[in-house]
Amino acid sequence: MKTLMPGGEPFFFPGDSDVGCLLIHGFTGAPEEMRWMGEYLAKQGITSLGVRLFGHATQPADMNRARSRDWLASVEDGYHLLRNQVAKMIMVGLSTGGALSILMARDFPVAGVVVMSTPAWFPEQLVRKLRPVIPLISKVWRFASQDGESDWHDKEAEKIQVHYPVFPVRATAELSDLLDEMRGTLDQVTVPALLIYARGDGTIPPESGQVMYDGLGSADKELLWLTESGHNIPRDASRQQAFEATAAFIRRVAA
Amino acid sequence: MSQILAGGKPFLYQGGSGIGVLLIHGWTSTPQEVHDLGRHLAEQGLTVLGLRLPGHATRPADLNRMRWRDWLAAVEDGYSLLNDACEQVVAMGLSLGGALALLLACSRPVAGVVAMATPYEVPTQPGLRWLRPLLLTLRPISGVLRYVPKPSVNDYKDQQAYRDHLSYRVFPIRSVLEVGGLLELLREQLSGLRAPLLLLHAIEDRGVSPDHARSIYAQVGSTDKELVWIENSGHVITVEPARRRVYDLATSFVNRITGRVR
Repeated sequence: MKTLMPGGEPFFFPGDSDVGCLLIHGFTGAPEEMRWMGEYLAKQGITSLGVRLFGHATQPADMNRARSRDWLASVEDGYHLLRNQVAKMIMVGLSTGGALSILMARDFPVAGVVVMSTPAWFPEQLVRKLRPVIPLISKVWRFASQDGESDWHDKEAEKIQVHYPVFPVRATAELSDLLDEMRGTLDQVTVPALLIYARGDGTIPPESGQVMYDGLGSADKELLWLTESGHNIPRDASRQQAFEATAAFIRRVAA
Repeated sequence: MSQILAGGKPFLYQGGSGIGVLLIHGWTSTPQEVHDLGRHLAEQGLTVLGLRLPGHATRPADLNRMRWRDWLAAVEDGYSLLNDACEQVVAMGLSLGGALALLLACSRPVAGVVAMATPYEVPTQPGLRWLRPLLLTLRPISGVLRYVPKPSVNDYKDQQAYRDHLSYRVFPIRSVLEVGGLLELLREQLSGLRAPLLLLHAIEDRGVSPDHARSIYAQVGSTDKELVWIENSGHVITVEPARRRVYDLATSFVNRITGRVR
């Protein structure tokens, strides 16, 4: 039997330079979200390792058992695997993966962070208000529907995305906590940072980009706005622009 | 703040041979117990990835939250990472890690399996014997009694190795059920395994008795199979005085099944 969904496999593409990047997918997503970017970066000689976050890309019930420290531990696992291969490491994350990247930059020596579509707060105010009782509520209401209006520009890429069709309710509380912790830590992060946000993001309030930019303690920081993209930047229509900006950032800060 | 205990981190060493070895540690333990074996294999030019199983090398409460599916998924993760960088993958594990290596080989194309000190069912040796009759009632019990201390008696030949061994000082009770579930799956699938297999087991193993190795050897579908008894060692054969012999046997097996000329 196989436990992982097709497309749920993490990936490892050794490059020929001494620079590596850890690629971290988003909430209810899968390593597949980051795979095209990993392939692009590996072609530039950058060793790329795409982790799978705990409880993801298997079955939604697994994710309701996850705690935010399990996701941090998944990223740490990837960090330790990559560490022996390269001299310098960059954290690259989408949405929740971006929040984890920032927390890694606080706790471990990294050369820079690339953050895509990371919300400054949990987007649903209801979750933030109900946070203390979510563990209880989630015993009966285990999954929330994920149908909202699509913000994808590339409809073909949308069709082949790998993710859970529902939001595991218990896990939303963990994500809300994680984002609170990240926000509280922003000013302690001083490594170079590239923030990439989509004007037409339908999943998170796009203003998050400015909030994150203003909050970061980094002197070397840049906020890039994309116009032809929804929330899933490394898969959507502007992905090439995001790949190129990320590769240029990595070359610059790891030089 | 690091989530993972210092000394319990996963590791990856890249070799130039195109052959990858996935190393899987045992229940309540950490990658540390297979790290020296990993270094030895890497020195032979092999790529070696020693993974960390979910719930391990953090805190015991995490392990009670984990299900056997999570461990299997972590092993599939490690396989995918190695498979991207290598042409052939060999699965290797100690104790519960051996059971996971065997299960991986039932669902993914691996060149071979080395299963060390691997249980066939939930062990009945001293320290765990009392658990057996309790297994059916364990689910309700585990809501109240979450941990039991590990017995201070141990089967190590090298007591310094025992003191250096990094693992939880308690058995997380709920997790025992998951070990049982995983081994049940192993017993169902073992006859379908075709990959070459090397079983290594200490003849004086008091944690998982030699009968477990005999049962696996008898049930497995592989025709290329060998069971080698390890002397002068307790359960954790990778850190005991006999470890050099274990490293050499594992290396020779990998070289043979991958057709590697040395």
